[in-house]
Amino acid sequence: MPRPELRFEAIGVPWAIETAEPLPATTVAAIHERIARFDRDYSRFRADSLVSRITREPGRWRLPDDAGPLLDLYRLLYDATDGAMNPLVGQRLEELGYDRDYTLRARAGAATRIPSWEEAISWDGSHLTTLTPVVLDIGAAGKGYLIDLVADLLRECGVDDYLIDASGDLLHRGPDTVRVGLEHPWDPTMAIGVYELSNGALCASAPGRRAWSDGLHHILDATSGEPTRTVAATWVRADSALEADALATALFFASEARLSEVVPEFEYARMMPDGRVGRSERFNGELFL
Amino acid sequence: MTPTARSSAARTAALRPAFAVLAGATLLGSLAGCASSAQADQSTGGTTSSGGSYKDGTYTKNGSYASPGGQETISVQLTLKSNVVTAVTVKTVTADPTATAYEARFISGIQGVVVGKKLDALNVSRVAGSSLTSQGFNAAVEAIKADAKA
Repeated sequence: MPRPELRFEAIGVPWAIETAEPLPATTVAAIHERIARFDRDYSRFRADSLVSRITREPGRWRLPDDAGPLLDLYRLLYDATDGAMNPLVGQRLEELGYDRDYTLRARAGAATRIPSWEEAISWDGSHLTTLTPVVLDIGAAGKGYLIDLVADLLRECGVDDYLIDASGDLLHRGPDTVRVGLEHPWDPTMAIGVYELSNGALCASAPGRRAWSDGLHHILDATSGEPTRTVAATWVRADSALEADALATALFFASEARLSEVVPEFEYARMMPDGRVGRSERFNGELFL
Repeated sequence: MTPTARSSAARTAALRPAFAVLAGATLLGSLAGCASSAQADQSTGGTTSSGGSYKDGTYTKNGSYASPGGQETISVQLTLKSNVVTAVTVKTVTADPTATAYEARFISGIQGVVVGKKLDALNVSRVAGSSLTSQGFNAAVEAIKADAKA
């Protein structure tokens, strides 16, 4: 028997939430509200979002209560990647064409240096102080974090057996195990392996499908301001989707050893542009080699 | 690329080392075949669909191939005029110290080269991979391709 599944589109991608029992309408409404609030706070594609207000002038901004885990992890991974993973890439992404209008053309001659954390912002756990107008982009971890927030809501609603699939980033809770194909970064009809996921998150990062002109894509090395080309795709299993999503990007820039100082327990696979693939010693799945 | 354009490329670049020219021609062919459409049809604005005609302009593509010395990345630039390639340059862009330094950190965990298997045949219920892109993004990519096509 296929399990009941709630499908909808949010933050620009299709979602599916599979549960043991159909979700009541009140729970469904609460999920949509929760996602809408997140989008209103953090989307740089919405002129009325908090992040868009922050871009207009420097200041001391009270961030929503849910900002703590997100910014704390960003800060740790900023250090662990020697500044390559940086939430201040927003303006450079816009310059390269990844903006609210999907211009998808790099502005000629524009090459703004991405500011370092210290010179542009400080974060005290509740307030973000911006010393210059900054375009925050939480794209490297935001979707994973939103999955966790939706999962928190499900738990509050008494749902403890579910699978959230936010277009390729997954979080599972429940007694069963889910067989997950690891999508080939160059061919979405193929997989490079299968992972057996149970009670945890599995997130992937592969810039290919969001590439636009001249090989531009959305995973920037903040130290150079250019899209990274060293890694083709990553997959990470961690306890939370926030951690899994953020580590999937961080693995484009840093070694497993370095990242395990930030998140002690995670599993990963990482594929290079020539098809070579590596994985963590512990990896609850199979790679097709 | 049309056959005409490709052979013109070879002719125009006859003064360059044959190795580089062959690598460039193969690269353009393979990128069009194996990459996802958004990635293959990189445009400033070019299109790699066969047939049809191409807008005059300069087109650049990057690609990688295995050389005896390791993985090489090259950049191929073509100038098209009236559907004929009038200039070709092939540059090696591998010597990026940052990329090399990053890659060195990753070598230790390498197990081998992947062989893709068809998802249909795998009995999986979910797929972990890059997000589907929104309709807006897809439409914008299509618009750029249409602009590039004369």
